[in-house]
Parts: sequence; structure tokens; C-alpha cells
Amino acid sequence: MTAATTARRRRWVSRLIPNLVLLVSAVFFIAPLLTLTRYALQNVPTVLLSWDTLFDKWSLKGLTKAFSEPEFWSTLRLSLQLAVGTVLVVLLLLLPTAIWVHLRVPRARAFVEFLTLLPYMIPAIALVAGIVIVKPYARWFLNSDYSLIPFYMVLALSFTYRSIDAGLRAIDLRTLVDASRSLGAGWVATLWRVLIPNLRAAILSVSFLTAAIVIGEYTLASVLLKQTLPTFQIVFVGREPQAGYGLNLLALLVTILLFVVLSLLTRPRKTPRRPFVAITPPADPGLPQ
Amino acid sequence: MTTLSFQGIRKTFGPTVALESFDLDVRDGELISLLGPSGCGKTTALRIAAGFEFADTGAVVVGGSDISRLAVHKRNMGMVFQSYSLFPNLTVANNVDFGLRTRKVDKAERRVRVSEALELVQLTALANRYPHQLSGGQQQRVALARALAVRPQVLLLDEPLSALDAKVRLTLRDEIRRIQTELGITTLFVTHDQEEALGISDRIGVMSNGRLEQLGTPTDVYRNPANPFVARFVGSMNELPATVVDHGAVRVGDTVVQTAVTEPAGTAVTLLTRPEDLSLVDAGGLAGTVTSRTFQGATTVIGVRLDVLDRLVAVSMAGTAAGEIAPGDRAAVAIDGSRALCESIAS
Repeated sequence: MTAATTARRRRWVSRLIPNLVLLVSAVFFIAPLLTLTRYALQNVPTVLLSWDTLFDKWSLKGLTKAFSEPEFWSTLRLSLQLAVGTVLVVLLLLLPTAIWVHLRVPRARAFVEFLTLLPYMIPAIALVAGIVIVKPYARWFLNSDYSLIPFYMVLALSFTYRSIDAGLRAIDLRTLVDASRSLGAGWVATLWRVLIPNLRAAILSVSFLTAAIVIGEYTLASVLLKQTLPTFQIVFVGREPQAGYGLNLLALLVTILLFVVLSLLTRPRKTPRRPFVAITPPADPGLPQ
Repeated sequence: MTTLSFQGIRKTFGPTVALESFDLDVRDGELISLLGPSGCGKTTALRIAAGFEFADTGAVVVGGSDISRLAVHKRNMGMVFQSYSLFPNLTVANNVDFGLRTRKVDKAERRVRVSEALELVQLTALANRYPHQLSGGQQQRVALARALAVRPQVLLLDEPLSALDAKVRLTLRDEIRRIQTELGITTLFVTHDQEEALGISDRIGVMSNGRLEQLGTPTDVYRNPANPFVARFVGSMNELPATVVDHGAVRVGDTVVQTAVTEPAGTAVTLLTRPEDLSLVDAGGLAGTVTSRTFQGATTVIGVRLDVLDRLVAVSMAGTAAGEIAPGDRAAVAIDGSRALCESIAS
């Protein structure tokens, strides 16, 4: 065997292995989704779901049934309100804090990271136990549906802080802040006109991650007796399994769509929205060297 | 008339003294470079002028007004940073416009001033590009235009060329000087590159350990260094062990060199001389062997290992004067001590 043939074979094997891993992973993730889709959208008894019935009785009835439930809309509304509220609170608190830590106390970064990891290490049920203890003293607060917002904020902290932290590490924060301030911008203008636009990707991913956590959270809502979308879903799946799983599938598809939108929104721009027209434009000096 | 004065500035960071008794007056329309090794305090001085740091004691005065305690965004300074500082989310034109919008200049005036600033750095055609679509040199030119668009009282340049490659650095250095002269703007330029400082400045302030060691014209600093630190830091130096033989003369090996020396006879000193103050002679001088020959265009540098002192010295000669000298040749080195410095060797 020649050296060239051996090299070619090695290259082929080195290409094959990652492709194989990718294929197995794809099957691992896609196969359950396909079975869920069939279960939710085919009006065929589960025991009869086989290759022979692959194209039989597909229908969106399972989904529309969920839409006709009045509780679906009220719980969806509350979950969306909670998601928006949590996103706003998370950004208002976390963004200035992370910027402050990066600029003023960079040595505290490791400690803050550890703090933000705690909610990930401590299960949500422990948080619930804490709520039970304080409940008699904060009933006025916990009676409100929006009392879930601070708890959701804590649950999302591990993911959200990391996203913002990664965003801040990706830009030359100190230089951008210094440049902005040297050009006459105060802190608010610097945050609004320089930092937020340059942290767009991080802010969007924080928003979507937080929204996904809020819309999918069950334990806290259930313990605090709030009627959110996940608590409705659990009840609905028990009552109408096929329609319930259809709803779950829809939630999954919406989440995927959100992440596609996220990746589209965070692409760097190549042409300005409002081009600047020079007063006396000279010749183009050419592309950068 | 805009002048920038540092008056008795002291600045510490914890136990570290960054600046000590720092006094400097930048005249109207003058470009002064602060030159020194890393950690000498030059950037701290610049950041104090910009308002990013406040001095512990002393005052910063611009055009007669004490701005020592004025917040950074309220000072009228233009600054160009070492790293690329353009806002990635804004186009070239919007970057230049940033400071004007902040100052609430009206829209028509802003358009004119953005155009002017871009024309000044010859980048009008790239007005609608984003920073990631520009080369490093172009980005720094935009940063310069952005700093100048606000018509600052003082221009502060914090090693703006250090991230660029050699050729672009040279071009941009000349461009900065041209624009600075054209606008007559008072400028403080920080660099650790002596060639850059010598090439661009009206005056150079050489700094070490938070102090200004010497302030003078580039020629003055190079030809008449105030002390051995400045002599060693600016340009290259030959260092030869010598002994003071009399008032105004030292013995180097078996040769006596006339030089300005104040130490008493018998003191061991180091004689510091520039390569261009050494010459190759036919007779007399310090005998040695040529070890290298480096052609540098206008000059040729000959390396000679001296027999007596076993020291390697560099002799700079005009391009053609080096003739046929080649490594391995025998040579004699004469020293012109008129501009040499003597440093006592601590026992």
C-alpha cells in the first residue's frame, strides 16, 4: 500500500467518525420528536402506530382542542406576562451588576460566578421550602401572580449571568466605556448607545433563555397555586393525553423558532440602515489591506 | 490659547507610586510625547489629563482652568486609544458623529463636521462601513477623526500606533503629525517607542518610575541626555568601564578620553557613548576585531570586540565610509568623549 493511499484512508476515517457521531446524535434527538409528532397529530390508536399507518389520519385536532380550552388562554397570558416581567427584572438587575463587576471589581468575578451557580446546584424544591417558611409574613406579596417573578429570576440566574458575562468578555468593555465617556457621554448614554447595542446577542439570549425557563417552570407555580401554562399542561395531559402532547410539541416548535430568530437577529450588520452621504465625496480609497 | 499643565501631580495605586512630583507644561499647539518603559507612569499621566483617574495631589490645568476634579465626560478632550476603540455597532460616520450627538450639536452642523473630519483622515468613501470591515490602520484613522470632530481643547493619544504593523505605523505617524500641525491642536502623545517619539514630537518627556527624567526637543534628548537612564533609553549606547584620571578625562583601556566628568581621580565609572561618537581610525585608539557589519541604508553599524576590555562596541559610520571592512578585520576605535556621559560605579 502506498503512503498516499494510507493517508487518503486515514483522512476518510477521520471524516467518517465525526459524521457518524453527528448522525447518531441526530437520531437520538429527532426520533423521540417524530414519535411525539405521530402520537399527537395522528388519530390512530397508539398500539396501531406502525410503518403501515405512517400516512393515516393526520390531523391538527389535537392542537385545536387545546386552543378551545378557556384556561389555555388565561394561563398562556399569565405565563407570557411572567416571562416579560422576569426578562425585564433580570436585565435591569443583572446588566448593570455584571458591567460594574467587570469594570470596577474584576477580581470578584469568580465569586459572583459561584454565587450565580448556586440556584443551579440547589433544586427548585429547596426554594419552595424557603417560601413556605416566609409565606406567613409575606402573604400580601405571595398572593399576587407576579410574586413568581423574583423566584424565576433566581432560577434563571445561572444561565443569564453566564450569557451576559460571555457577552462582556467578547467586547473590549473598558476601552469602549472610556471612549464613550471621553466623547462626552454619561453612564446612561454609554449604557444605552454603546453597551446595550454591542451586547445585543447576549441580551437576546438572556431574554430567550429566561422566557423558556419561565414558560416551562412547573414546581414553583404549582406549590404557590398559580395557574400558569405548565400547570395547565399537566392537568390537560391527564385529561386529554393526545391534545396535551400536541401542545407540548407546539411549545417545542415555538422554542426552536425563537432560537432561529435569535441567530438571525444577532448576525453582524454589513450595510447601515441609514447611509451617511458626505458633503463632498472623494474617490474610494479601496478595500482594507 | 490652549495649554495643558500638570502641576505637582502625585498618584498612587495602593502601595505603588505611579506619579511623583510630576510637572509638565504642554504649550499651545505643541505635541509632546511622554516616552518611557512600561509602568513608568506615562499612561497614568494621560488618564489623569483625560479624567479617567484623579490625582491624589496636584492640579491639571487646561487653558487656565483647573479641571482636576471635573468628570471625564465634562472635559473637552479628544482621545485615541491603544486598542481599537470604535463602537462596533456604529458605522464609520456614526462613530465620528457620536461625540457631536452627545454634545447636542444640531443635525446640519453635525453632517458638515463629520464630513470634514473624515476628509481630514481621507476616509470619506468608507463612511458607511462598519469597524469590522476596516483594517487596523483605517480604524485608528477613524478613531482620530472621531476624537477631532468634537473640536477638543487637547488631543490625547495613548500609544495609538502600537497595534499596527511597521509600515502602517510609519504612515499613520506622519499623518497624525500632519493633521496636528494643520489644526494646531495641543497634543499629548504617549509611547514606549523612542523612534516614534523622536519622529513626531516637538518635545519629548522621558519618564521613569513616575518621574519626568528629562524634557527637551528630540535632538536635545538624544544628543544631550540628562542622565544615564535617558541616555540608555533613547537611542543605543556603548558602555565601557573607565577610571577618572584627572578633571575632565577618563582612561578607557590604554586610551585617555577627554570628557565632562566631575568625579575625583581614581573613581571607577562607566563611560556611555553613542555609536556615532565612535570611529574607526588607522592608528591609536582601542584595538579590536570586527565581529559584524550591519547595513542600515544611510549608515552602517560595525561591531568591534575590543582587545583590552573584551567588550563589544557598535560604531556607526556613514553609508560609504565603512568601505570594505568585513568581520574578522583588525580595527582601532577612537572615542569622541565630548558628548559622553560618565556614571559612577557603586562600590
